[in-house]
Amino acid sequence: MNHYLCVYEENEKSLLELLQEDEVKLESPCGGNGTCGKCKVKIIEGIVNKPLVEEINHLSKEELDSGIRLACLVYPKGDITVDVLYKKERNQRVLAEGYIPEFEVNPVISKRVYTLKKPTLENNVSYETLFSRTVKNLKINNLEILKQLHKVFEEEKVTVIYDQDEIIGIEPEDTTESLYGIAVDIGTTTIVVSLVDLKKGVEIQSETAINPQTKYGLDVLSRIDFVRKKENGVDLLHKAMIDCLNTLIEKLCNKNHVSSKKIYEMTIAANSTMMHLFLGIDTASIGKSPYVPVFASEQNFSASLLGINSSPFAKIYCLSGVSSYIGADIVAGVGVCDLDKRHKNILFIDIGTNGEIVLSKKGELSSCSCAAGPALEGMNISCGMRAAQGAIEGVEIKNDNIHLKVIEDTSAIGICGSGILEAISEMLRVGLVNKAGRIKSKESIIDDENLKGYKNYLTEVDGKRRVLLGENIWVTQGDIRQVQLAKGAILSGFYSLLNFMNIDMKDLDEVIIAGQFGKHLKVDSLIGVGIIPDVLKEKVRYIGNSSKTGALMCLLSHESRKKMEKLSKQIHYFELSTDENYEKLFTKCLSFKK
Amino acid sequence: MTILQKELLHELSNSVVEMDDERTTELAEQYVENKFDVYEGIANGLAHGMDRAGKLYEEEEYYIPELLMCSDVMYAGLDVLKPHLDYASTANKHKAVVGVVEGDTHDIGKNLFKIMLETTGFEVIDLGRDVPPIDFVNKAKEVGASVIGLSTLMTTTMDNMAVVIELLKKENIRDDVVVLVGGGPISQSYADKIGADGYAPEASAAARLAKELVKELKKSA
Repeated sequence: MNHYLCVYEENEKSLLELLQEDEVKLESPCGGNGTCGKCKVKIIEGIVNKPLVEEINHLSKEELDSGIRLACLVYPKGDITVDVLYKKERNQRVLAEGYIPEFEVNPVISKRVYTLKKPTLENNVSYETLFSRTVKNLKINNLEILKQLHKVFEEEKVTVIYDQDEIIGIEPEDTTESLYGIAVDIGTTTIVVSLVDLKKGVEIQSETAINPQTKYGLDVLSRIDFVRKKENGVDLLHKAMIDCLNTLIEKLCNKNHVSSKKIYEMTIAANSTMMHLFLGIDTASIGKSPYVPVFASEQNFSASLLGINSSPFAKIYCLSGVSSYIGADIVAGVGVCDLDKRHKNILFIDIGTNGEIVLSKKGELSSCSCAAGPALEGMNISCGMRAAQGAIEGVEIKNDNIHLKVIEDTSAIGICGSGILEAISEMLRVGLVNKAGRIKSKESIIDDENLKGYKNYLTEVDGKRRVLLGENIWVTQGDIRQVQLAKGAILSGFYSLLNFMNIDMKDLDEVIIAGQFGKHLKVDSLIGVGIIPDVLKEKVRYIGNSSKTGALMCLLSHESRKKMEKLSKQIHYFELSTDENYEKLFTKCLSFKK
Repeated sequence: MTILQKELLHELSNSVVEMDDERTTELAEQYVENKFDVYEGIANGLAHGMDRAGKLYEEEEYYIPELLMCSDVMYAGLDVLKPHLDYASTANKHKAVVGVVEGDTHDIGKNLFKIMLETTGFEVIDLGRDVPPIDFVNKAKEVGASVIGLSTLMTTTMDNMAVVIELLKKENIRDDVVVLVGGGPISQSYADKIGADGYAPEASAAARLAKELVKELKKSA
């Protein structure tokens, strides 16, 4: 039990807000709109408002009778005690790895050792002057360097830290053996941090975490809304992210016996909203038409400005993005795949709540972003959950049975993105769901030789059809509609770009699937529901977390950094929602007909 | 009503539900040739079919593509019937102003609502997408609308619905119009919170609701 006392506040705050302010972790995918039904709590003691209509829709009568409510719709009228019903935070899979191309290691940050001449009575000039005589081209205009000068002169040798030709710091003694950096991928859902040895040019280890901002809303729009509505919202989200990064850095340093003071640079790839929030910059303009970001180009700052656990001289480099919805994470992926250089037609797609698509027509690049919704991540699905222990991740329908594959082989408690996709793909294949996406009725399959064996899997609740997968786990007609929306959004984006660039589906040489969620979606499922057309079946390749790989390349190679900066300016962005023919195309793409 | 007219109305309705545009056009032409009442052909034939399609959507039998295909078929039929329509029978239609609120450009939901409103007999003025709050108010005043329909897909823009309602109050016309809200992030509680008159998760149910609420509005007026 997780009994929790919530103290009443005068201002009309929902229980969800009160719990979040007290750092109680509670799933709130829709950001407190009352539309997802996931923030269930049990009221133990205290006076609250009567259940609202959404609660009556989302909760069963038994649940309501036992005092279960949706925290976002409960307004306490005094101190109350609640039971937070979230299942103990399960280990969610986070993908840190990915394809890494060959590139020349040539970090931006380097160190050189000098032997110092000490001052004497005959030569009693300042440390600054002495230092400048040894280290050429030095102009000290950095307070941190001035502060360190006296320490440096206690030793024979000094190590100078360079950002290319610019001196950014000094350290007493020869420290050239310790030169580390951090490569970061900030996803809307997950964060990956890698410790990198800049001297050896190798990645040492990576750590992952769930983005701590997820409790304020799962997708970027609910975060943007949080920032807009909450007085210090941007600071809250910014701080949560910095704290999380520092925790991960500390973990990595401890595990590998590296001092965080020997970290001199951090490179970050992220989508535009995450990049704004990482820097503590307001996101409102991203969330409304004409959808412009405050900035999109590469950024360079001192890490101390953001309170990153590192050397006092450390730098931060944010990779460049294209627009509000094609961020640095996508540019990184395009760079990792060298989309611009190859004389091929390649489609690059990162599948998530927003499906970002980049098409290369023999190196000419265009992109779009489609509002796929969170269905392929297991959200907005009645029994949906993230890819964690107990989630159905695979489904096979054969011999009158539905076979399930559950993460970590435990009993199933829900279904994740790859599971829902394969379930629907299989239902379409055997014919339990028709091409329009409608679940067949029990009566209609009773006389069907191929289907009648599945009749006990089909059921109706309040006139709404569903397919049972296990005890208390099912796929409803509404769930299938959610996947259709995702499919329609991605596939129509796909066709729009092909039309725009004037090439044919069959002229594509390759389809690259990037990212966290895409990685787990099987080719057969993607083809089965028609997110990827049949003709491309043999051309699909997965590259894993290319966002982190891009950050890593930018950390280790000056050339990669320049390349990605250039790329971000070459990618054309195409706004789908205002395209005249989009609605027709989208509608056509909703159907499972091929 | 003759048996033939009854049959044609029934068939018109069926052909809309069955998404058969050729058949619908044929039936509509036959209907006109027989000089049957055109207004009835629309209301009890084409719109009747579209209304059934909307209900099938609510029952989850049909989805967006089917609903839009049915509407294409209905409009194909209307193209045949409308030129023969007597002006007098359209004059006292209730007017509805619809649009996607400022900041949002996703308009498929609004388009579905518009179709269903037309099906229930409203004359719809579509302001399009990314519509500033004051435009809804001005247009409603200008045309004497009884319904304002506000739509959005994005959480970040939904509060503009509340802005429209505040403006209506300021202009002292809040009680003259029914305000309906809809879209992905919208819920009944949200509608209640901002003081909208109605919300429905599906376009067809929302259009029916609009009709009922307008009736009540006129009664109390």
